[in-house]
Amino acid sequence: MRQYGVDRLYRLNNNENALGPPPAAREVLAAFPPERGAVYPSGDCFTLRQALGEKFSKDHERFLVGNGSCEVITSVIKAFCQPGDNIVTADKTFAVYEWVAAFSGIEPRLAPLRDYALDPEAMLAAMNDKTKIIFLCNPNNPTGTWWSKATLERFLRAVDGRAVVVLDEAYIEFVDSPDFPDGMEVMERHPNVLVFRTFSKMYGLAALRVGYVCGGFEAVDFVKRTHLVYSVNSLGQLAAKAALEDDGEHIAATRRMVAQAGEFLRSTFDSLGLEHVSGAGNFIMARVPVPDTLLYRLLIRQGVMIRTMTGFRFPNWIRVTLALEPAMEAFAKALRQTLDKR
Amino acid sequence: MDTVLSLATPPDSAFARILTTAAEALAQSRGLGPRESMRFQLAVEEFFTHLCQVTDADSGIRAEFTAKSHQVCVSFRFQASDLCLGALNASCACTLDGDGEASEDLGLILAGRVADRFRLIHEGGDSFMLYAEVDKAYPAAKAAPSAITFKHPYHAAPEQDPDRLMHAAAWAAARYPAWHCPASFQTPSKFADMVKAGQFSCVLAQDAASHPAGLLCWARSGEKGLSFSGPFVFAPQSDVPEVARILTDAFLASVAREKVEIVFSERATLDTPAGYFEALGSLTRYAPEGESDQPVLYRHLREDLGETVWADPALEEFLRAVYDRLAMCRDVLPAHPPGSLERKRSLFSTTMDKEKSLAVLRPLLDGQDMAANLAGHVRVLTEKGFLNLMLYMDLSHSWEAALAGRIMAAGFKPRLVLPFAGRSDVAVFQYAPNC
Repeated sequence: MRQYGVDRLYRLNNNENALGPPPAAREVLAAFPPERGAVYPSGDCFTLRQALGEKFSKDHERFLVGNGSCEVITSVIKAFCQPGDNIVTADKTFAVYEWVAAFSGIEPRLAPLRDYALDPEAMLAAMNDKTKIIFLCNPNNPTGTWWSKATLERFLRAVDGRAVVVLDEAYIEFVDSPDFPDGMEVMERHPNVLVFRTFSKMYGLAALRVGYVCGGFEAVDFVKRTHLVYSVNSLGQLAAKAALEDDGEHIAATRRMVAQAGEFLRSTFDSLGLEHVSGAGNFIMARVPVPDTLLYRLLIRQGVMIRTMTGFRFPNWIRVTLALEPAMEAFAKALRQTLDKR
Repeated sequence: MDTVLSLATPPDSAFARILTTAAEALAQSRGLGPRESMRFQLAVEEFFTHLCQVTDADSGIRAEFTAKSHQVCVSFRFQASDLCLGALNASCACTLDGDGEASEDLGLILAGRVADRFRLIHEGGDSFMLYAEVDKAYPAAKAAPSAITFKHPYHAAPEQDPDRLMHAAAWAAARYPAWHCPASFQTPSKFADMVKAGQFSCVLAQDAASHPAGLLCWARSGEKGLSFSGPFVFAPQSDVPEVARILTDAFLASVAREKVEIVFSERATLDTPAGYFEALGSLTRYAPEGESDQPVLYRHLREDLGETVWADPALEEFLRAVYDRLAMCRDVLPAHPPGSLERKRSLFSTTMDKEKSLAVLRPLLDGQDMAANLAGHVRVLTEKGFLNLMLYMDLSHSWEAALAGRIMAAGFKPRLVLPFAGRSDVAVFQYAPNC
């Protein structure tokens, strides 16, 4: 903020929840005794895994908690891939699958999107006998598109157990459709399915970095062998457990905020003649008439931070987090002013 | 695959024979001709012999040879408490002493001339790395490919096939002025070898019948930048915008997730699609037939998170205006010229491209003779017929940034800043002939 000369910054770049964590998690954070800072956390997040087990009616041994989803992605790739293998994912999706594979010496095979959505046929075509993992971001970040129950089922039947299929459901709590497939249920019919979820988005605990993977006993045990213990801090474990147990009204309030903000920004983009794409999740993408990275610099000077999409292979698109009204209005005003001047 | 050979020796010229034998073997392994092989051996021998004289007695010299498909290189890591390599300047002439004998710098002058390029990296304290390269000689391009009929649709993708690359490079060299093309387009098999060696990456556009319809290539520039050339389009004029756009899209998709901050081009073609890049400014292109402006384009690949640069008082106002225009946040720290310098002779590396009539200077060491050395470079390069003299200054080094006032006094004008093109931002100066 100092370098950009602003005294207030609306962070609309990381899809953080503007409402913060649920009340119970806030209480845990406020009540954390400082002396507990001297004590190591539970190395395997035992209590949190028990809470997850209760929430999803599964044995806690089927859960593995990590320092955000990124650590879990790394552990899964380490567990199932070796040099010469490959993973399949989309070309325009969450980047970390591709990054981790590439720097681990595993070939990322990228399937192009079709109409801004993951393309099942293209992903199947990208598979070969060296494919060990398929990463599906459902809903997809950054487009917000998602596969229905039927689409996912057809895809899993076509994969036929030849590779592990990871359903990254980082944004599942934002979806309110009966046709959206619940990975926790899908994995019971398809033992090659692993599900990723996170406390960084809906649960508003991004600063504490807590994510997890759930799957069959054998698969999760396999991943555990590559996974660091003690990677999740005590405060994160406690807050995540509390958030899980107090999410009803929080999820409803967040969905209301996201819906309202989405409506406002779609209208804003329409009025500016900008193409936009949105679906499930607390974000919206828009195509802008200048390099996205230039727009980032011009907006941040006005106290608004957005995400550039060049790195997602959408050059000249931006992604904006759907947040509270003052932030949305500040963004809309800054965008109008910036584009009017050019 | 590169062949790498490392040797650690004491600073004793008796070991020179071992190094030249290694140099010869590596040159042979890559099929360098006798002339290039001899130049490489000579560069290795003369650099090593000189370093034996200047390296601190209690430290060693570590030589690392690398043989790539298109060149052989050597790097020397050494420690020297009072390093002065003034004889490596392109402006340095061999002088004879009173007895008609060549001065003791003759070996260093020779080494600097027989190497195709060299650079010196100050690694902190008394530690330095001297790096020299000799290129393999390649045949010039044959006649330009004959015209063909292109069929829709076009598509673009990363390309490594040497035959397609040679074809595309030859076509680009025939269609576009030399200023826009990498020098290796004049020798297409060298370009293909450079792609194989990872010096260049490229995307190739093809039509429905797999005919090359366009090319865009790029190379690393510093740790955080990629310098691109193109887009070169061979399709009919009516299809040029479409092919240029798919080349640019394929380029950005290829590099989107690389660990670099920016892409830029000082020689982008006029076919570059609108809306993809920002203008950093322009350079003046001097040619026998007149002068013209060459826009310099760039694009960030991700969010600009700010940077710290050093600035000589003479350059500060220029830099602040540039950063304000580009809406880039920078901490600009004062770099003051030194009150006195122990080193007598400054050093610049000089890269020359005759096809473009272009010489690029980069400061390697400051010294008492800076003003005279700069004037000498301008004189010598002008006498050699170079019309475009540039100087690149990495603003991450305070000593380098502090040269700005003296560089401007020598007739170089600051033209633009390349963000992240070096260790940090790079200021580009151009010699103004009428200044």
